[in-house]
Amino acid sequence: MWRRTPLILFLLLYTVVSGGPFVWVAIMSVRTTPEIFANPYALPTRFHWEKFAQAWSHSNYSTYFWNSIIVVTTAVALITVFGAMAAHCLARYRFRANRPIRFLILSGMILPPQLLILSLFQILLDYHLYNTLTGLILVYVASHLAMTVYILEGFFAQIPQDLFDAARMDGYGDFEIFWRITLPVGAPALFTTVTLNFIILWNEFLYAVVLLTEDDKRTLPLGIMHFMGSHQLDVGMVATGLMIAIAPVIVLYALFSDTMIRGMTAGAVR
Amino acid sequence: MAVVAIEALSKRYPGSNETAVRDFNLAVADGEFMVLLGPSGCGKSSVLRMIAGLEPITAGTIAIDGKVMNQVPAKQRDIAMVFQSYALYPHMDVFNNLAFGLRRRRVPAAEIDRRVRQAADKLGLALFLRRKPHALSGGQRQRVALGRAIVREPKVFLFDEPLSNLDAALRVSTRNELIRQQHEIGITTIYVTHDQVEAMTMGHRICIMDQGEVVQIGAPLEVYRNPVNTFVARFLGNPPMNLVPIELGRGSGRLGSVSIPLRSWSETALGPARSVLLGIRPEDLYETPPRPGDDLVPIAMRVSAVEPLGAETLLVLTLDDDATDIIARVGRDTRLRVGERATIMLDTTTVHLFDPVTTRVIARDLA
Repeated sequence: MWRRTPLILFLLLYTVVSGGPFVWVAIMSVRTTPEIFANPYALPTRFHWEKFAQAWSHSNYSTYFWNSIIVVTTAVALITVFGAMAAHCLARYRFRANRPIRFLILSGMILPPQLLILSLFQILLDYHLYNTLTGLILVYVASHLAMTVYILEGFFAQIPQDLFDAARMDGYGDFEIFWRITLPVGAPALFTTVTLNFIILWNEFLYAVVLLTEDDKRTLPLGIMHFMGSHQLDVGMVATGLMIAIAPVIVLYALFSDTMIRGMTAGAVR
Repeated sequence: MAVVAIEALSKRYPGSNETAVRDFNLAVADGEFMVLLGPSGCGKSSVLRMIAGLEPITAGTIAIDGKVMNQVPAKQRDIAMVFQSYALYPHMDVFNNLAFGLRRRRVPAAEIDRRVRQAADKLGLALFLRRKPHALSGGQRQRVALGRAIVREPKVFLFDEPLSNLDAALRVSTRNELIRQQHEIGITTIYVTHDQVEAMTMGHRICIMDQGEVVQIGAPLEVYRNPVNTFVARFLGNPPMNLVPIELGRGSGRLGSVSIPLRSWSETALGPARSVLLGIRPEDLYETPPRPGDDLVPIAMRVSAVEPLGAETLLVLTLDDDATDIIARVGRDTRLRVGERATIMLDTTTVHLFDPVTTRVIARDLA
């Protein structure tokens, strides 16, 4: 019992440090600005839930939110499907260009986004995709496919070859094997990449701020910035807006954190 | 029901200079249980995977019922395979593992249900149909793998060392179960193993392979009694056949100071060789002669180890003037102890002679 005390103390401290700010913002989101100024760290005396409706309807938040939903879910869906297909091929088939292709994909992971932003801007302009959600979706898919392929390939490669051979003997072709064996057996890894990509893209700011300028195209991170600009002194409203933006990520993480960690750490299917 | 004919089959893996399978010929009769036996890396699994369609064929042909299969993809060959790892689909329960292959073949749902339940009953899996593979024991998984092959009612069964992941007791019972199932269903079976006990007990015929080539094909006891070379002689039988060099004389061979009459071989059969390898199985050496007769030659040896196995005892013996170990299988009540001298009777009618250079057997040519 006593041997574990340092560990428990450490975890306690870690939880306070990482969870504290979140709890603070959550509390502020249901308090009014005068209340907060009176005492920044107090617990709410009355829960001002109406602030959420206010933020949602008076500040174009619904538009930002739906833009984010459309962009992120489409991008994550495309990344997952194409990433899984590419990973399956790289992990499963021996072909001449296997190693060069793998190298090419992985080299996409090491380029910092700041380096690409100007050329992406120009490309999107040329193809009339600048300031469109489609353009942002394509950029998100391109920029996050490499990491997804990398994670999935490592996992898929550990699925025993016998499973695929057995499915072939059972009469299934390459594409059916991908759908019926690789995807369900690789589900933990897929959950991991879906959750990871969702969280990263939901918070993505750099590409969005450069590639979207019209207010009704903005995604949530841009919306929050805008919101903070117009509510500079209204700390309470800013906290409410932040909570709306964070909520989906928290829900997703609460639901899938177990599967996600298992997918990242666990190896093969046994 | 199918005949499998393999002609001049060879396999070379890309990027490798070695030929994994070389000029392999084999004909498996309808309903036959054929065992491919050989040490690790002898090419037996490569042959099986080529029959299955999982590996491309480098040269030669594989035909099922007269139809050449070389270019037919695995999914159309109508062959079922049981893998060493069982390869059960981890995300499906037992029922769906069994039904997976039937669904692809558009078998009606009612028929799938009937066949799966029948196979499950037969294999004692009826209570586990809704369990996932990870919730089954090794033996149960093995039976699901077998069931998955059975429900397909294929033309040919392929087995790739299906018992090697089971513990010893389970292996014996599963082996008997497999023999019974194959006998009942009567589907042509090709079974790969490196275990000579499995080969001896299960196969109608054994095909022994070494370094990618067929060494000998025949019924188990026929191969056991008449090995074509020293490899087969040593590979079949546990402990393996004793091989000791002897000097040839006129109608006899000299093993140390003992003269062993070789009445079944003529001068021409033995040729100009000065020395040959004498092969004798451990069970053809006796501590006490089973019968009187002039076929038995006494040899004085020293006991260097005694290994009581319960039902019998193995003696490791050395000749006085030779370091070669000779193993004899004697009764369990032997009183011989390590270091003692023993007179062991050798049954000369059961000896084999092998050419020491080519390792091939020197055939008897006299009655």
